[in-house]
Amino acid sequence: MTLNRDARLRDALRALGRDDAERAAPAYVEAHVIGEIRRLARDRRIRTARRGAALAVAAVVVVAATVALIRVRRSERPADAAGVAQEITTAFLPLPYAGVPVSNGAIVRLRVPRTALASFGLLAPDASDAGSDATVTADVIVGDDGLARAVRFVRASVHKEQTR
Amino acid sequence: MDEGILIARAGRGDEEAFAQLYARHQGPLYRYALHMCPQAADDVVQEAFLAVIQRPDGYDASRGTVAQYLFGIARRQVKRRIGDFRETPVTDVDGVDENTPLDELIQIDSVARVRAAVDALPPVFREVVVLCDLQEMTYHEAAAVVGCPIGTLRSRLHRGRVQLANRLAAAPAAVGSGRRP
Repeated sequence: MTLNRDARLRDALRALGRDDAERAAPAYVEAHVIGEIRRLARDRRIRTARRGAALAVAAVVVVAATVALIRVRRSERPADAAGVAQEITTAFLPLPYAGVPVSNGAIVRLRVPRTALASFGLLAPDASDAGSDATVTADVIVGDDGLARAVRFVRASVHKEQTR
Repeated sequence: MDEGILIARAGRGDEEAFAQLYARHQGPLYRYALHMCPQAADDVVQEAFLAVIQRPDGYDASRGTVAQYLFGIARRQVKRRIGDFRETPVTDVDGVDENTPLDELIQIDSVARVRAAVDALPPVFREVVVLCDLQEMTYHEAAAVVGCPIGTLRSRLHRGRVQLANRLAAAPAAVGSGRRP
């Protein structure tokens, strides 16, 4: 194209550009996107709250388990250290309130009817010759709300101290 | 405020930041979409801004400006609607009879005629004419949006202008009567 023609075309395009300059997207476009921003923000808040609640529950369980473990180890240590008496225990078996969050708890040693073993599907070794009112030793994890969370059964096993 | 910060805040749900970003860029994006894909210009602009908030990490300042990023999204939306546009082989319409009297060649008596002629260009040429001549982007900026070397951009722009001149010369004086709605 010649310079003159090129210049005229450029002027025409500039005129079109100026005419275009007033054109803007309809208002509903911005409104729709802002609506989407608010929806995403609401979803984010819900996700954050759920995550926070899950973390809080997990933290409570970890703390409770740690406290229980420390107490159990403290209660067992003297006998082990002396080498005089040891205990044979089952694993802790969850009780109906095991799922209720707890911030603190304690292990309580109890004597419970031997029939309690049967309710957990455990048979006492000497069940056949035991009377109906016989008892066994059990450790119960009790939360600070008074609800029992788990139980284990204990049998004393006495050993003589080893000497060389 | 720096546009990188603005787009990051908008992506995190800051409505004030989004409003600023929208005010700065919606016009050029809308006008680009209007020339490229008039039947869906609203949707193209909406999708470009939705991408900002739905993919907040999508913008990488090392790859270009926020405007280039938004135009890139808008351009993909246009292609989704009108199909990929590639450079066509040289045709007769590219040739200009240099002996044609100037006033006959370009009878620019209304903006509507120029608009109709621009919008009748093949998309590959229309795009660069819109970006460089109507939006007044530099070659560098337009090449970044289109994703081609500057030499290619200049070649397309030249061919687009030549085709435009020919269309204006060939078009009857009463092409179009005003703005699109």
